[in-house]
Amino acid sequence: MQGDSVVVTANRSERKLSNVTVPVNIINAKQIQQTGALRLTDILKEQPGLTLTSGFGAGVQLQGLNPDYTIILINGEPLVGRTAGVLDLNRVALGNIKKIEIVKGPSSSLYGSEAMAGVINIITDANTNIPLQATLRYGTYQTLDAGINNAIATKSVFYQGFYNYFSTDGYSIRPNSSSRVTTPIQRYSVNQQLTLNLNDHTNIALGVRLTAEKIKNDISVNNGGATITSSGNENNTDQNFTFSFNQKYANYLKTSFRGYFTEYNAKQDLVTLSGDPYYDLLNHRFQRVENQTDWTANKNLNVLFGAGAVWEGVKSTRYDSEKVRKNNYIQYGFTQLEWNPIQKLIVIGGVRFDKNEAYASALSPKLSALYKINTKHKIKLSIGEGFKAPDFRQIYLDFTNAAAGGYSVFGTAQAQEVINQLLQKGQIGALYDSYYKLKVLKPEYSTGVHFSWDYEPNTNNFFSVQIFRNDINNLIQVQQVGAYATGAQIFSYLNIGRAFTQGIELEAKHKIDNHIIISGGYQYVETGDKDQIDQIKAGKVYTRDANGYSKILTLSDYVGLPNNSKHKVQFKINYSHANGFFANVRIMYRSKWAVNNTNGNEVFDNGDEFAKGYFSLHTSIGKDFKPGFSTQLGCDNITNYIDAANLPNLPGRTFYATIKYQIFHK
Amino acid sequence: MKKTIQSIVLMVIISSSIVACTKSDTAALMPVTAVTVKDIPADTVVGLSAQGIPITNGKYTFYSLERNTIVPNTDSASTKWDIAFMATKIITNGGTSGTGLGGAFVYTGLFDALTTIPTDSVFKTDNAPTSYAITTGSGKGWYNYDGLTNLITPLAGRVLVIKTATGKYAKMEVLCYYKGGVTLLATATDADKLNKQRYYTFRFAYQPNGTKTF
Repeated sequence: MQGDSVVVTANRSERKLSNVTVPVNIINAKQIQQTGALRLTDILKEQPGLTLTSGFGAGVQLQGLNPDYTIILINGEPLVGRTAGVLDLNRVALGNIKKIEIVKGPSSSLYGSEAMAGVINIITDANTNIPLQATLRYGTYQTLDAGINNAIATKSVFYQGFYNYFSTDGYSIRPNSSSRVTTPIQRYSVNQQLTLNLNDHTNIALGVRLTAEKIKNDISVNNGGATITSSGNENNTDQNFTFSFNQKYANYLKTSFRGYFTEYNAKQDLVTLSGDPYYDLLNHRFQRVENQTDWTANKNLNVLFGAGAVWEGVKSTRYDSEKVRKNNYIQYGFTQLEWNPIQKLIVIGGVRFDKNEAYASALSPKLSALYKINTKHKIKLSIGEGFKAPDFRQIYLDFTNAAAGGYSVFGTAQAQEVINQLLQKGQIGALYDSYYKLKVLKPEYSTGVHFSWDYEPNTNNFFSVQIFRNDINNLIQVQQVGAYATGAQIFSYLNIGRAFTQGIELEAKHKIDNHIIISGGYQYVETGDKDQIDQIKAGKVYTRDANGYSKILTLSDYVGLPNNSKHKVQFKINYSHANGFFANVRIMYRSKWAVNNTNGNEVFDNGDEFAKGYFSLHTSIGKDFKPGFSTQLGCDNITNYIDAANLPNLPGRTFYATIKYQIFHK
Repeated sequence: MKKTIQSIVLMVIISSSIVACTKSDTAALMPVTAVTVKDIPADTVVGLSAQGIPITNGKYTFYSLERNTIVPNTDSASTKWDIAFMATKIITNGGTSGTGLGGAFVYTGLFDALTTIPTDSVFKTDNAPTSYAITTGSGKGWYNYDGLTNLITPLAGRVLVIKTATGKYAKMEVLCYYKGGVTLLATATDADKLNKQRYYTFRFAYQPNGTKTF
């Protein structure tokens, strides 16, 4: 039922899904196509355990952890350019994707920073034999998506190109409002991949990926009661260059050298109605060289080891000078042993060490095991450490808000120095205890435990249960460290927070006949801030009753971290016929989530403001004609569910039609 | 915590033995009754300037806790008022703010549980513009301001303990900062956030006999 596809992300090396020791979900090209997904967000929002978030672009929450804690890779190389920790996943077009692998649980032992909740690896189609294919889609809000894929495949040369243009008029789901929830967007994406097989043992691969987007901005900011409206464009570019040299010495030894350069540049160039310019820049550059060697010591033991270096830097208008790039240099090494003592058991142990110039070093071990009880039952257990490096802003931010009372936020790299200078000038009114605790930031750590049980009674049924718990320490939080003589606050960052997420995920799949497959998933997630829980237990946290009177908050009214739904459900029916016809219906449910603290305490509880739980319903039908011609019609959000404030990424009901034509069909 | 429970128990015992309330000045051991006051305007927005900046009159609303009524601005230089409101600022009739004996401090705990003002409490007086008895600023005194939603919410578990203009004691809890006594939702319109703000709903208990018990 699950098929035995190949997974690369779990072990950083190709393995059969049936031999992978950690929880993995695979989304294949057919699923992407049949759900009518255009951008990465479209497909991720329908996956078990994932929730889309809005604010600073569309990010993805994995098992209750915020977007900051999931690393997003394209062919194993990380995407960079996060705003407030969020990577906007709308940047990634899906036209040439072969599959998406989602590994759940801390994976820093292989991938380093950000692989704390898990890893999402997008793998582009490396083996297509379609020489030229054109796709055109048009839908509601004048949303246009046009793509061309071309490929050349010979014995020694493989080339693949992908060109995509996307534009939308945006939409306003707030009645009578001139401001649009999604503003007009134009995006261009180009991908080029070239692989040369020099001989049976050696190949060289080159890849280029470019995305440029222009987003029209009409922003209204409420500043002390005055509304300031600005308009202009946001121009973002994302460039990635990869190089790899792969050498196979023998069947038991292979090595690869990889080079990666990426730069994300986001520029907001706006003018307010009164003519004042507003300019905001973020430029993130990331360069990496890496070697990885895979060695099969004997039939029971595989060893993998690697090492690399990263040169990373960010320029931003939010730092002391946008002209000066703030840099970090990372050296790392990792190793992993895969031991297969008996047929039924696979044990994997791995560790990675990251030495960082700009913040403290990190050591990330992981241990996982798979035990195949029999052909029907399989259990997996993994325990691992994940970490997330401090953001550049947490180290280098130098921000004073003149408009809102003159408060300042200083990154840890210069907080003490800057405050010291202010002190000598007599501008400091008070220094708090927290000021003396300022030091070089440590990464945020999590320890994750995942247990799963897969049951596959026959080829028509599949069932799986997964239980997880993540304990997060050293969370970096903004803290007031002092005050100006004027009373205005001074903030910096400290490793102080502790949190947890835990839950259960159920998945089931049933094949009714040759045509119909039904599948479903359910996730229950609990989250909480441990310090807040301690405070609540001590009776030190207050909330309000129905009269608005203060009362002591009890733990039963505590809801944990904001933006987290406790319950999520996915249900899908897929129909397909040998003649190329397919149809599907997908229903998603997400329960209420806390969005806003309204009752005057610092914690989220049942008295706060919640976004309503909601269902969304999507469908699509299509037919693949021979030769090489296919069509598709779809409708997303059939019930037209709208929540402008809390779900800006969910437009009302939308329709679309797609045609795809393989010009030189083989 | 233990102390709080004890005070709650004490309060329950006392309040269950008393049904009627009294306004008598001589009721030495009578517990005072809390009164809720709704929608006291505090320099509300009266219009917008040509540049879109909100216009207010810039005047305090004076209030007498003793008589439970708004005091006209013409009496601002008297001991007829105990507290006054302007936007999020609450002043007391003493120090730089008035001619009375007034002062205050912010107590962390429950309104009902505060049956006796602790003996070690220090009443502060206003010392404009640098410090106020009821600390100004988000998260410091009685309210929190959320910069994302532009909403003011009274902090839960804060009791403003007031020394009145004539040296009596009162305790008060701010319940809401918006007209109608319900804090607006984050999704409320900007116009509502502007025009419905600066209306205080609060409850208070005034002890006329000069003791520090409620």
